[in-house]
Amino acid sequence: MSRQNDGFDFHHGLLQRLLDVAYRAINFFVRWDRLPIPLIGAANLGVFRDRLRAHNLHHTGYGINTSGDWSAGKERWRTADGSFNSLGHPRMGMAGSRFGRNFPLPECVPDSGDELLDPSPREISRELLARRTFIPAERLNLLAAAWIQFETHNWFSHGVPEPGNEFKIPLQPGDNWPDSERVDGCMQIRRTLADKTPRETWLGATPTFQNINSHWWDAGQIYGSSQSRQAEIRSGTDGKIAIGRDGMLPPDPKHRGVDLTGFNDNWWVGLSLLHNLFAREHNVLCDALKARYPAWRDEELFQRARLINAALIAKIHTIEWTPGILAHPALEFAMRANWSGVPSHVMRAVLGKDSEAAYGIIGSPTDQHSAPYALTEEFTSVYRLHPLIPDEMNVRRLDTGEQVLCELVNMQGRFTRRFMEDHGFTNLLYSFGTNHPGAIQLYNYPNFLRRFEKDGQPLLDMAAIDIMRDRERGVPRYNRFRELVGKQRVRTFEEITSIPDAADKMRKIYGNVDRVDLLVGLLAEDLPKGFGFSDTAFRIFVLMATRRLKSDRFFTDDYRPEIYTDFGLDWINNNGMKSVLLRHVPQLGPALEGVKNCFMPWNVL
Amino acid sequence: MTFTITIPGIIRLVAVTTPDEVLAVNDASMVQRSLSGRGGLVNRLVAARFAVFRSPDGDIWPAFRDRPDLLRGERQTALEARLSNVEPLLRRIAPEIAELGDYVRDGVAHRSTGVIVQQAVGRLFFADYAASEKSYDAARILQSWLSAWPLHAFWIRRSGALQASLDRIMDLSRGDMACAHATALAVDNIVRSIKLMRRLARHGDNLAKIGPQDALARTLRAPSHVVREVRDEGSAGPVRLRARSLVLLAVESARRQSADPSFAFFAGAWNRCPAHGIVPALLAEVWQAARTDTRGCT
Ligand code: HEM
Ligand code: HEM
Repeated sequence: MSRQNDGFDFHHGLLQRLLDVAYRAINFFVRWDRLPIPLIGAANLGVFRDRLRAHNLHHTGYGINTSGDWSAGKERWRTADGSFNSLGHPRMGMAGSRFGRNFPLPECVPDSGDELLDPSPREISRELLARRTFIPAERLNLLAAAWIQFETHNWFSHGVPEPGNEFKIPLQPGDNWPDSERVDGCMQIRRTLADKTPRETWLGATPTFQNINSHWWDAGQIYGSSQSRQAEIRSGTDGKIAIGRDGMLPPDPKHRGVDLTGFNDNWWVGLSLLHNLFAREHNVLCDALKARYPAWRDEELFQRARLINAALIAKIHTIEWTPGILAHPALEFAMRANWSGVPSHVMRAVLGKDSEAAYGIIGSPTDQHSAPYALTEEFTSVYRLHPLIPDEMNVRRLDTGEQVLCELVNMQGRFTRRFMEDHGFTNLLYSFGTNHPGAIQLYNYPNFLRRFEKDGQPLLDMAAIDIMRDRERGVPRYNRFRELVGKQRVRTFEEITSIPDAADKMRKIYGNVDRVDLLVGLLAEDLPKGFGFSDTAFRIFVLMATRRLKSDRFFTDDYRPEIYTDFGLDWINNNGMKSVLLRHVPQLGPALEGVKNCFMPWNVL
Repeated sequence: MTFTITIPGIIRLVAVTTPDEVLAVNDASMVQRSLSGRGGLVNRLVAARFAVFRSPDGDIWPAFRDRPDLLRGERQTALEARLSNVEPLLRRIAPEIAELGDYVRDGVAHRSTGVIVQQAVGRLFFADYAASEKSYDAARILQSWLSAWPLHAFWIRRSGALQASLDRIMDLSRGDMACAHATALAVDNIVRSIKLMRRLARHGDNLAKIGPQDALARTLRAPSHVVREVRDEGSAGPVRLRARSLVLLAVESARRQSADPSFAFFAGAWNRCPAHGIVPALLAEVWQAARTDTRGCT
């Protein structure tokens, strides 16, 4: 493995080996999520994670080269494109480098010929995904949906597809796909942008794709993934991000109705709220740093504030968003342990000071485990969470309590800034806090995204596209995916789902359970108690969520005062989503009163 | 005929032997050359045997590359084109053909048949390829690595012979994976044919009586079987394939039942041997060389 994995290897400790054997025996009788006592469940997750670290990280080559403008001294902060995070392997995780894989490369080979289009992604969109009536995820608020898209925009993007050699999806006679959009009677889907960097011979038949964003958890969605983008969003004074006179992000001159920020594709009000919030947080950090370090100039202030802001976002994601969507006691425990370790002096003493289990990943030694750090195609796939998006939401006024039902389609793309101006930042945050997202399951795909107009693109059926993307990128279909993350294959459709009528429909469409598409399986699967998405997808999260931290020098070896300042470390320690919201929008106080997790429903006043 | 064996945790295997089944399974999209080792202990052991056929920088040997692998396809086409220049290539290896002819006729040669065949095959790639007892030993070790019982295989690896053989073959092949495949693995099929020719020539006046094409038809042998894995459940013609079964395509057995002489090379299939033209010509030429001398015309 190491030859392809650039020399990286995973080393099991003795305790890990013993736990592995013990939990194999335990899991033979009891599933991890049914174990009593959070600590025992969390330890089970730790065992899964180590197995995945050993077997489920596969390098696909970096593809591109670093730019030449590196000089000593720059290692003190994050580069714009993510290069030199690893000083020994500077291309690792940089913008433009390839997505890795969670499975051995020969498992990640797309079907060829007709099988690639079989069964028709459009039929799946119509029969299994289309929303019939909105199924809300009642434990969460809509901010949770916007948040995860905000985060994925930090981590990855395959770029915007270009015309040429489109997939042609035949349409059934009763299909209402507009005639004007048909080519030869078919629906067209553009292909993912091709990776034009030189291919290594050992890649075999596995296709590769480039991540146009930096793979690191560096708040690239706010700061951009290139030097030039970073320059565009900066004010040039005191390290601050440029803000308009109204206190909001300025418009992007190249994209009508969209804010200027690090990454603003697939823009809508939900993203605008979070980008504005954390741009404000950045600017407050610059003021605070300047007060403490008056000699610092624009560049130093900007870079230090960025580090602190990015770490705070990662912390909110780890210990607030994740336990919000995966409300299981073992996970609550595990995610806190990921960030700050277990709250037991005895265990800390036993496990030692370099133990990530005892002291948390933050500040522990950097480790890439069995492959150079890269986000993966499979990671992208499990974040296809479009059912979170409703078709409509109640926009509420904080002052009068008035509400009006608005369609999502009118608050995205070129309509976004207008919608924000009409309803206001505060009212919209309040509305997002008090509306529900959709449940992540079959029959709940937002219908406006199934007939979606995006500037510069043909009409999109995003549900069909989601299916097609996994196939095109060689992500294994559902049953093999299960097997490869360490679960049993299922033999019947009924073993996947108890959603009424779904097993029959799937049988009719797929015939063979091994043909079920990953997304369909993930949306059909019966969930562990408290979970907002499937256990199969969760296995990828178990691995990758900690990897984003553990591989990153700035969360591990360099998570120290010399880099962040003492003030910065305290700031990260002492803040969370609630304090950020209240700092910038104090009017939200009553709505947030008593709310333990800001991604769960707020008080309707 | 299909033979299936499943012992949970130990083995999951399906073997197919008739020409139609072999072709159908070979063509099935859920069947691949890469072996994951899943399906049982035996599956894992077999996969580990095949996993070593890579260059030091990870390049995969051609007969283990998957069907949709573009590089495989390109290299296959390029080699097929190069090897279609049959006449000049046979002229290039005329000395080895003559040596083999001597062996078929008299049963003696200055060096072992394997070395001569390996050199002939190597020279199809590089005019100055020089085989030796050592290089042919390396090929033999790699061939037995694929078929050895576990203890023997363990010893081959443990003693360092496996790595040394891979290194030697790769060195001589100058990074050309097809040359490595041909001089280490494919060579065995030709050696078998030559030995059969020798046996044929020993009897009566066969050498004079049997023409080269006929001799070729009687002695050409395919690899006894090639190995695949079923990725996902499905079926290929009448054969039901369970996910993660190891598949044995009994090519030689199917060839014997097939009317098509090029079956040995999977000619016409996606994985056709790029040497499907030159190998029969080479063998016919060897027989001819053996006969030529019989008639006293050398
Ligand atoms: C109004 C809201 C949203 C819109 C308009 C939108 C639109 C899109 C579009 C146009 C694409 C590209 C499709 C392609 O491959 O051609 C995409 C991809 C994607 N979206 Fe969304 N989306 C929205 C919300 C979300 C949310 C809430 C998530 C949750 C995580 C999400 C996750 C993804 C992922 C993972 C991809 C794949 C990205 C890639 O291939 O690199 N999206 N979305
Ligand atoms: C009697 C001699 C030979 C026989 C019967 C034979 C037969 C075969 C067969 C059956 C395969 C397909 C294997 C599979 O799909 O797993 C194959 C592949 C191959 N053979 Fe041969 N072969 C012979 C000699 C040679 C020679 C002399 C060369 C080179 C000069 C050669 C080069 C190759 C290559 C490169 C492949 C891989 C094709 C691909 O890319 O899929 N073979 N051969």
